[in-house]
Amino acid sequence: MYYDEQLVVDYLKGDEKSLEILIHRYLKPIYNFVYRYVGDKEQADDITQIVFVKAWKNLKKFHFRSNGSAFKIWIFQIAKNTALDFLRKKKTIPFSEFENTQGENIIMETLRDPLPLAPEILEKADIAKSLNGAMEKLSLTYRMVLFLHYNDHFTFREIAEILGEPLNTVKSQHRRALLILKKLLTDAPNKCPS
Amino acid sequence: MRKDYEKLFTHLEQIDVPNSLFDCIIKAIKQEQELQHTKKLLFAFLFLLAFSLLATPLSGIMVVSQIKDSGILYFLFAAFRDFGAFLAFGQDFILAILEALPLGEIIFFSFSLGICFFTAHLFLHKKRLLLQCLFHNVKLHNLKFI
Repeated sequence: MYYDEQLVVDYLKGDEKSLEILIHRYLKPIYNFVYRYVGDKEQADDITQIVFVKAWKNLKKFHFRSNGSAFKIWIFQIAKNTALDFLRKKKTIPFSEFENTQGENIIMETLRDPLPLAPEILEKADIAKSLNGAMEKLSLTYRMVLFLHYNDHFTFREIAEILGEPLNTVKSQHRRALLILKKLLTDAPNKCPS
Repeated sequence: MRKDYEKLFTHLEQIDVPNSLFDCIIKAIKQEQELQHTKKLLFAFLFLLAFSLLATPLSGIMVVSQIKDSGILYFLFAAFRDFGAFLAFGQDFILAILEALPLGEIIFFSFSLGICFFTAHLFLHKKRLLLQCLFHNVKLHNLKFI
């Protein structure tokens, strides 16, 4: 399997196939990531297309780093910015929401990570439905932190780079998001079919 | 605990990518590539056009005035008036004419004339593409000010 950076180099040297491999590799993660932002498949289609065209346009400006995940972070950053631009144009969310985290609370900041999930929650038959419902209820920032961390397996440092937030902010957002998610899952009306 | 959450998130609904999306992206990139190529061509054309419009008449005027000042016309007039003398001193005549030629100006004029022909050739061959791109850009420019 080729590394992303090698594929970028190969494409810049004229190998068209390398670009196709890169697009194939990131199409599903980017599409799902964008979908979490906009919540609409057709809009996610359009935005994903724009993301890859933007990435292609700026491929020469892509900075290689020793860290192997540089390209992954870079393309997710493009996806985030494109999705936010789209939402701003649509004015579905106030711009101020991105300036700071909503409901910033010093006590919440100092909380330790929540306890493990109760086994019964994991065993729920309709866990997917509950989880999706709970995720939708989370604020955009929290949703994206959890999604990037658990679905795309990004580290907190990488998430901080993608979202353009300080590392500690991302960590506390993660803690708060888990607390809220756990509460939402526990309080879900259709919980634990016995 | 992290494992619990990772396990939990495997239940998260994954949205399937539409089959046509990959092809659409490749198509969009190709279109963008063509657009960039056309834009480069348009800029090159406009630059060459501006250069040839400025340089050709200017260098032409310079060549004419240099020729007038150089005395070539006098040599030629003398050669026609006394063709016998011209034949007798032919080599000297030719050398004198060559010496009086404004070479720098002639080279510059020929160069700008060449650019002029090349620009016309470019326009004739890519007329449709260039006009389309030019009008598309003008429309976009106007829209920005509306």
